This record gives sequence, structure tokens and C-alpha cells, in this order.
Amino acid sequence: MEPTDPTNKPVKRVSSGSLKSPPSSDFQYPTPRRKSWFRWELETSEYDLLFLSTSMKLLLFPSYRSTDFEVHRNWMAITHSLPMSQWYYDTTSEWTLDYPPFFAYFEKLLSIPASFIDPKMVDLNNLDYAPWTVVAYQRSTVILSELVLGAALLRFIRGSVDPSTQRIISASLFLHPGFLIVDHIHFQYNGFMFGIMLWSILMARNGNKLASGILFAVLLNFKHIYMYLAPAYFVYLLRSFCISPSGKLEIKNFLSLANAVIAVFIVSFGPWIVMGQIPQVLSRLFPFTRGLNHAYWASNFWALVTAADRVLLRYVSRTGADVAINISGVASTSRGLVGDTVFAVLPTIKPIHTFILTAGLQSIALIKLWFTPTYKSFLTSLTLCGYASYLFGWHVHEKAILLVLVPLSLLAAERHAYFRTFIIASVAGIFSLFPLIFTPGESIVKVLYSVLWVVFVYVPLTRRVYEFPISLSFVIIDTLEKIYLAGFPLLQLFVTLFPMLVAHRQQSAAAPADTCVSTADFICPEPDPHAGGVAAMEFLPLMLTSVYCAIGLLWGFCRLMFVYLNEETTYQGPLSRI
Amino acid sequence: MDPDELSALPPEGPRKSPHTRVRTISVNSMRSLQPSSLPVQRSYLDYERPEILAPMPRQALAGGRHLLENSAQWLNTRSHSPGSSRQLSPTLSPGRRFSTLSPHALKFPTSLSSLHAAEAPPPEREAEHAMARRWIRWMHKRGVKAWVVPSALLAATCLKATLGLGSYSGQGTPPMFGDYEAQRHWMELTIHLPIRRWYTYDLQYWGLDYPPLTAYVSWLCGIVGHRLEPSWVALDSSRGIETEASKVFMRSTVVLLDALVYIPALIMFTRVWQATRSKRTQNLALVTLLFQPALLLVDFGHFQYNSVMLGFALLAINFFALEQDIAGAVCFVLSLGFKQMALYYAPAIGGYLVAKCLYLGLVDGGKLFSRLALATSLSFLLLFLPFLPPFAPISAILDPISRIFPFARGLFEDKVANFWCASNVVFKWKNWASSGFLVKLSASLTALGFLPNVLVFLRIAWQTQLTPGAKPPPHPPILSLLPYALLTSSMSFFLFSFQVHEKTILLPLLPITLLLSGAPLDSTVFGWGALVNNVAVFSMWPLLKRDGLGVQYIALTILWNRLLGYNPLRLPSRSFVQLLSLAVYAAALSLHLLELLIPAPARYPDLFAVLNVLISTPVFVLVWLWSIKCGLQMTWAVGGLGNGGVPRLHRTASMVGDDEKPVVTDSRRSSIVGPGRRRVPFESEQEANEK
Repeated sequence: MEPTDPTNKPVKRVSSGSLKSPPSSDFQYPTPRRKSWFRWELETSEYDLLFLSTSMKLLLFPSYRSTDFEVHRNWMAITHSLPMSQWYYDTTSEWTLDYPPFFAYFEKLLSIPASFIDPKMVDLNNLDYAPWTVVAYQRSTVILSELVLGAALLRFIRGSVDPSTQRIISASLFLHPGFLIVDHIHFQYNGFMFGIMLWSILMARNGNKLASGILFAVLLNFKHIYMYLAPAYFVYLLRSFCISPSGKLEIKNFLSLANAVIAVFIVSFGPWIVMGQIPQVLSRLFPFTRGLNHAYWASNFWALVTAADRVLLRYVSRTGADVAINISGVASTSRGLVGDTVFAVLPTIKPIHTFILTAGLQSIALIKLWFTPTYKSFLTSLTLCGYASYLFGWHVHEKAILLVLVPLSLLAAERHAYFRTFIIASVAGIFSLFPLIFTPGESIVKVLYSVLWVVFVYVPLTRRVYEFPISLSFVIIDTLEKIYLAGFPLLQLFVTLFPMLVAHRQQSAAAPADTCVSTADFICPEPDPHAGGVAAMEFLPLMLTSVYCAIGLLWGFCRLMFVYLNEETTYQGPLSRI
Repeated sequence: MDPDELSALPPEGPRKSPHTRVRTISVNSMRSLQPSSLPVQRSYLDYERPEILAPMPRQALAGGRHLLENSAQWLNTRSHSPGSSRQLSPTLSPGRRFSTLSPHALKFPTSLSSLHAAEAPPPEREAEHAMARRWIRWMHKRGVKAWVVPSALLAATCLKATLGLGSYSGQGTPPMFGDYEAQRHWMELTIHLPIRRWYTYDLQYWGLDYPPLTAYVSWLCGIVGHRLEPSWVALDSSRGIETEASKVFMRSTVVLLDALVYIPALIMFTRVWQATRSKRTQNLALVTLLFQPALLLVDFGHFQYNSVMLGFALLAINFFALEQDIAGAVCFVLSLGFKQMALYYAPAIGGYLVAKCLYLGLVDGGKLFSRLALATSLSFLLLFLPFLPPFAPISAILDPISRIFPFARGLFEDKVANFWCASNVVFKWKNWASSGFLVKLSASLTALGFLPNVLVFLRIAWQTQLTPGAKPPPHPPILSLLPYALLTSSMSFFLFSFQVHEKTILLPLLPITLLLSGAPLDSTVFGWGALVNNVAVFSMWPLLKRDGLGVQYIALTILWNRLLGYNPLRLPSRSFVQLLSLAVYAAALSLHLLELLIPAPARYPDLFAVLNVLISTPVFVLVWLWSIKCGLQMTWAVGGLGNGGVPRLHRTASMVGDDEKPVVTDSRRSSIVGPGRRRVPFESEQEANEK
């Protein structure tokens, strides 16, 4: 390993040029090696990955797509055919525009070539229009826009302390099953936006904190779900950029950051401020009419609580224990669309409770970040912020797990403790995304692809970070975690076989497989558990998946929090040098 | 050098301080003493690593060449393992290594340019053209080589499943649908009807026209399908069923059968036919074969079970290589029994077995011959047993036979890149001759087409016939000819026989892909193999387009070529293959562009299909001629120029036919393959002795 460079500029330390030439040719003629943002100098292996992933994504063109596909087509139509003043008012389709303005601009951009390829694609009234050209066009835009992610990941390798490990991590992110499932099968543009997020993190790593802040502001204006991460950004930039180590306010830095962020928001929301439509835009962005859980419970803390409530209800109704039962809660378990989840036995949760819990847990990490505003600390607390929001937030969508998995991946090779957390969270998180894809053909693909991904990430990385367990408690935890991970194949087996068993049992019922049409921020019309025995049975695999993944994700959170708070006392990984 | 190596540098690496830098310069200049023509550039890594003595080359232990080397290699180069993906290994101590340099190579650097040359990236970087090879090397370096085969198989399965998401032949085109419906229909009729009616039931709607093994397999699949969901295979009422679940079921039967027959056959092939080569090369061959786009597209996209037929045929030649001729013959009967197309291989296989008997001499050969005859007829009997007395009246056997060989149809059906269809553009065969005559003509042309290599078999066998009591060599000398013979016979069937489908190109593709899988990147075999594979996929373009598999066609072809590291520019410069490849690719690409930009004129709706045929057919004809030529070269290599009985080990290089350049000359190989290819010293000593 190379010695720590005092200049805090890792990019310059290991130039990509020296990576390419063999270490032996130390004597070099002073050939000027210009570093430019536009010259990627892709390694052959990186081209390989690009070819591989693009082929895979091309093959997924004809796969199942959720209503999100129509959502995005509709947004293209809205932005193409309506004036800006109408964008956030249009209700032609039920899939109204509910992303911030930058994303609307992005859709506008996409609609320009679309109108040349097929004008009917951007016709507002042409609902559910999806011939082959539209599918090919929209799917290709996802693939192309995901190159932003690839570019950011490449830059991560270039300036890395340990390029070979970083290459594995970058590749793992570029080929992440989460993106494959959510973007390339289900259909969304997450890869592109996570690219911006990673770029912002990269800027933080490279010491360019102003750029990092600006990029994050841009990201927020693409999709507001990234607000989950905002507290960490706020604290980090305030502490390390706006306040000097001695505690003095750096007025110049502070003003430049504040002005830049405000400028970004003005560019984004400016037209609507001028038109006076801000309340309407905000009401679209933040619809406060949803329940605690999504229809398919995102695998978080509330999934566990809800499950516990169901179990208690069973127990109470069976034993006849003297407990007050909320009658409305008996029927309502997991209303996704409107209204609150009402518990039958446990006290009802209000949005304010989830908010307090989330903010409290986040602030633990943020306090630590305030006192150690290093890059690695920032990365960890960023992950923890996203993690806390995911686990304890109000109406969290299962896709939000990517907000945890992406920054966590960057920490994967730090130490065995991080790596273990990463593996548990990734396996549980990816598995929790599986119910998004329920068609049989695509289910086979998602499982095979994820297994392949885990093999290629786990096997080479585990050898790098392996640490011998040093105490009995470590051994016990290690064993329990292994048992937990080994449960996933069994769970998948159960999820696959259970519907067949049920179908065999009740052939006469011939219940149609309930198609869960889940979308951007809405909803699966979930089977009502009390509509009949069959429907309740069909909900069982989903519930089990949710609960089992929630256990792992919650444990991962505790693990990461523990590791983060005890950072100084143990060995520091390679990222701490930045 | 992979930058990964950086992290492998020990902390006291030479890149630390200015002080050591001085030393580096000196060592560097020392290293530049080694001429750049010799691939012995060693990086520091070698100095840092513990010295390991070179292991004995495996082929030296196994006593010879590997089975896939072609005749030109046999004649011109010494025994080696050309396409090994093994990287530079620290074989010898620097001193010993230096002593192996030939004297003329040791010159001092006279100018700055030679210093520069010393600093050029090491050649092995250039040698790693193939993505598959890079990947295998990466796996080995990461110490996870045990995962290479499982993960390659898993990746292939994942790819097949993804490919299966697309449309299939005849999707959404009632009333007849396509091949998918045919296969599904056979499941339906085999499980619901008595065996006697299998070959007679409603022949207009996809009547069963494959041999009995297909029927039995359909029956098995049908039973499984019936247990899962009876409506998928309900008699008559399920016709044209297109539910999502039934599609997944059908797709998974293909994947499963492929995994049961074809994949074991492939693994066995790499382990048996390339037994003398490194594990990495074997795995590289496996990856090459696993991702062959034509077969993937037809079986898992278009929907057919060709891999089962090909798998059995491949198992047969694997068993031949293991000297298990009886097992091989039975496997080939199974292949024939699954799909009559395997008949395309029959002349080669039959020729091989007869030649083997001849080679073994009167006593042993006679014994083998009678055993083979017995095993073959018994397995045929078993296959057709339900259609024979006492299970059925004697006339019953005619039903399957007449269904399997439909001579009543025309010379060719669709636009297919064979001789008949291509020549039909200028010469309207159907107007000129009667159907009966055309059948005879095509049969005799086909026979003429495959005869040369059958004769070559017999001739070599005759010339190298074992004397009674002699200890036989590990492999009969005709074995190496087998892939070429398979190629010749299947290609001649494809080009000249009756009623050929465009998908049938898969049969000639198998042997040439087998050859390709063992060939180095810059060899003629590789050039032909990759060219024919790509042209074969291209020739199926009209079919794939009809099936809605255009995107899959692009993705898989590009991926496979990338895996191989195929680039026609890297073939031997200005060789015939290279020029042909470049011309064909230019033509194919411009045809695709043309088709994209301009609709076909109303007068010639088939214009693009015909142009496609006209581009593809010459390539297939040329590869057929090439395979005959390789067979003839092999005769000379093994038997000499007719003065029979020359023992094969005493041949000399002067016997080469001069029409072909040696595939890989030593100098070219060393410059391309890089430092890893520098052989151990005793070879150089032999070289010196020869001089």
C-alpha cells in the first residue's frame, strides 16, 4: 500500500496513467498526461463489463414492465404537449407528474427524440400506448442514462486508494440486481439518479465539497426521495466546509455553498415560483394521504410491528385474553392507497411518531459525524441516515432500500465488520425487492442474476477483508448470521412452491393470480386478507418475505451503527486515509 | 499488466523513493538488454515473487499433441499448447532464463528507441484479447478458480432464461403458430393418445414428424406439464395456448433438457478432447461453446430442442475419443432417434467407425465391427420397439418412417443459404427438372460432398493399420480428423440436400465451433470458425426478425464475439480468411443498414432475404471446401504422399501442401501470445540441436 499523502488529493496520487503501465517501468519520460473529465481511458475489463451489462439489459427489453412504464411515457407526453404552467395540473392520466422539476425537464428532453421516432408516443391522450418502438425507445433511454452511473463509478476507481477492490465494488454497483430489477425490468430511471448521487459522494471524497453540495441539490430536484440523505449532507458540509476545524465560520465558503444551492433550486422551481404554482407543485410532491405501510410492506421496522400485531391478534382471539381490540384494525392491515394502518392490538402509529424515531436515530449518527467530519465518517452516516429513514419512515417504498445499499457498497471492503453488514443488508435488501417482479419468467431471471451477483461480489471480496473472530460472542453472532443467510434459499423455495401448493389444494376455487401492479410511488392493490382463505394464503409469502428481510435489515442497521460509533477503537480501513 | 497488481506489490516495492529509483533505472536498462523481439520482459512482480520451478508441460507428459490441433499445426510447429490462457508464470531463475536466449537475440541497445521499446506495455496486455480469457484469469488471480465452471454455467442459464423472456416462433400468429406450438402440441398428443396414433393424429396440425425419442421426451415433459397445469397440454383445446405460465414451462423444459444432455457433453468435450491442455484453456473452450449465439437464439429464442440432438452427437464423439466406440455409437443412435437431422453427421461417424475397424486390423477390427453392428441395431430396435411386432402390426413402422423423411415436399421451402436456393436466383431448378430428378441430383451431390473425407478416413486407417500384437497409440490417428469430417459431411448436407431449413446450419456449426474452441486467436481455424458462426447467425436473420428476436440477435452476437476477442484484423495479415471475413462483414452490415433505411420494393418483397442468401452461401461453400482441404492435409500429415505405411512420427515438414501457410509459425506466436509462451529450456536446446 502506498503511504498516506498529506495533500488530501487522492486523485493526483495515483494517476490513471501509472495504473496502466506496469509497475516495472518506473523510469518514465515526462510525457504529459492530461487529466480531463471527458477522457475516460476505459480499461479493457471495464469495456467488458459494459458489453456484458448492456447485452443483459438488451435481452430484458421484452420483459415484464410495471405501470411505471406508462407513467414515464405519460410524463413525456405531458412535458411535450403542455405548457409548463399545466405540468403539475394535468390529470388526463391517473399517473400525474409527481417528481420535482428537474425530472420533468429530463422527461421533456427525452420527449424530443421520441416525437421524431413516433409522434403518438408523446400524445397526451394516447394512454397505455406501448408498441415495440415505444418499449425499445424507453428501455434504451434507461440504458443510456445509466451511463451516468457508470461514469461516476469509473471515477471512483481512478482516484481510489485500492483500485482493484474499488473496481469490484464499482462493478458490483453497475451490475447491481437492484437496478436490474427496478430499472430494467420494472422500469424506472434510478441508475441515472444514483449516478448523480455517487458523483456527489465522489466530489466529497476528492475534497471538492462545493461541487458535492451542488450535485446533491441537483439530485434533490430530480427526485425528492433523496431527502432521506439530506441530514448527513447538511451536517457534513456545514461542519467540514463552512466551519473551519478550529470552529470558526468560513463566511466565504458558507455563502458560496448557500448561493449555489439556492441557485439550483431557483433554476428548478423558478418558473413555478413566477407562476405562483408552488403550493400545487408541493401538493403533488408530498401527498400526505397514505398509510404507514405500503401495500407490500417494505421490509422495515413497521413491517415487523404490523406482523407482530397480526400475530397478537391471532393470539388474543384464540385465547380470549382481555385486551382491547380495535375493531377497525382487524380488517385493516396494510392499506396502501389511502388512510392509516390501524393496529388491532398494538397502539396506533402516527406520522409524528415515525418522524421522531427517525430523526432521533439519525441524530446519533449525525452527532458523531459532527465531531469526525471525515469522508468515511460522512459515507457511513449518509448510509445510516438513509437506513434510518427506510426502517422507520412513514409509508416507505421497498425501492428506497437502494438508498441504503448504494452508499453501503462503497464501504463494503473497509473491514470485515462493514463487509458483513454489506452482505447481510444487500442480500436481504435485494430479496425484499423480489416481490416487485412476480411474473414467472422474470422471477427466474431475477433469482439467477442475484445469485450470480452475490457469488461474484462475495467470493473475491471476502478474502480481502476476512478477520478471524476474536471472541465467543463474535463466533455466536457469526454463526447466527450464517444461519440467517442460509434461510434465504429456503424462503425462496417456499415463495416459489407455496402458490402451487395452494393452487393444488383449492383447484376448484381457481383464484386468479392477483397481479400486483405496483408503481412509482403507489401501490399494489393487495389481496384483502379477509376476502377469503385463498387470498390470505396468497398474502402469506409476501408477508414472510417482508418480515424475514426486515429482520436482516434491522440487524444490519444495528450492526452498522455499532461499528460506526466504535470506530476509533478498532482498526481503520483504507478509506479512513482520505 | 492489470492494475490490480499494484496492490500486490509489497511495501518495499521499488517505487518508493528517489534512492531506489536510481536502482530501478539501472535495472531497467539491464532489462532493455533483452531484445524486444523476445517475449521475456519480466516485470518486477516476477522478481518479487518466490521462484517456482516450471512444471513439466502437460502435453509432454501426455505424450503428444492435443486432439484439436489441425494438420498444418501438426506439420509445422512443435508440440505446444497454443491458446493457453495461462499468463506469464515465474518459471525459472533469471540466470537460467538468460542462458536460454539464442545468441543472435542478445544485442545491446544501440539507440534510444530500444529503450523505449523496453518501456512499452508488456505484450501480455495485448495478448488478452478475449473477454472470457480475461475473466478466467481474473478468477484464477482472485483464487476463486473453483467457481469458474459453476459460475459460467449459472451465467449461461441466466442468459437463457433472459432470452426466454422474448417472443418465440409463431407467437400470436394463429391458426398454425410455429415451432413452439409444434413442440407443445406433441406433448399434448403423446400424453393423451396411444402410441399407435402418435404418428397419424391430425397430421395437418403439426403432426409428429420427428423420430421416437422426441416423442418419448415430449411424453415425459407432457406428463410433468399435465401435473402442473392440465390446461397447458389438454388435447385439442390447448391449441395455441399462450399463457405466461405455459410459456415459462415450455422454456424451462428446453433449459432443463439442455442442462441434462448438451452441457455435460460440452464439459466432457473440453475435458476429453483437450485433456492435454491447461484447465484454463479447457474452461475457455467451455465458455466459447456455452455462449454460441446461433444455438442460443434457435433453442431458447425461436424455440426448439436442437441442443439435445447436438448433445448426443457430441457425447458420441467424446466417447470415440475415449475409445468407447460402442457407447459412442449408442449415443449417436440416440441423437438420430431424437432428430433425424443428425443424419447429416452419419457419413462422418459411420466412416470413422468403419475406418477404426480397418485400422485395428482383421481380428480386432472384425470384433469391433460386429459389436458395433449389434449395439447400433439393438438401440434402434429399442427406440422403435413400440412400433414393431409384437407391440404393433408390422405396418405400424411405416407411419414414423414416412413422417420422418418427407420427400414429398419441395427442394427447398424458405429462403435458406444453401446451394439450391442461391443458384435458384439465376437458374430456376423447378422449371427445369422434375421433382424426382432433383431428389436424385441433390442426393448424389450430397454424397459427392461428403465422400472425400470418408475416403480420407479409410485411407489413413489403411496406411496406419496396426500390425497384430503392436501396442496401439493412445488415440487412433484418424480421431483428429473426426471434427473436420463432421463439418464436411454436415455442410455438404446443408448445401446440397433436400428440404433444408435455415436452422439446420446448427449442425455444421457444432464441429467448427468445437475446432474453434481449441484454436489460438490468430489461427486460420479460429478465423473460419468465428466467421462461419457469425455468418450463420446472420443467415438466420430473416427467421429471427420474423420471430421478433432482433434485439437478442444483436446482443448475443456482440457478446459472443467480445467473449472470444474476435477481430478479423488480428487474423494472419492478408490471409484468405481475413480478406473474406472483412468482405463478408462489410456486405452483411451494409445489408442490415439498407434494410433498416429502405423498405423492400414491392416487386421483390424477398429482396433482402435473397441478398442475405447470396452473402451467406459462398461462405458456407468455402468452409465446406476448406474442411475437405484440411482433411486432405491430414492424410499427407499422417500417411505421407502415398508411399503407404510411413509411421506418423517420422514425417517431415517438407511434406506440407504449400497451398496453406502454416497456421501459426513460431515467431508469430511468440510475438502475439507473449511472455507466457516462452517454452522451457529443453525446447530451445532441441531447437539448437536441429540447427
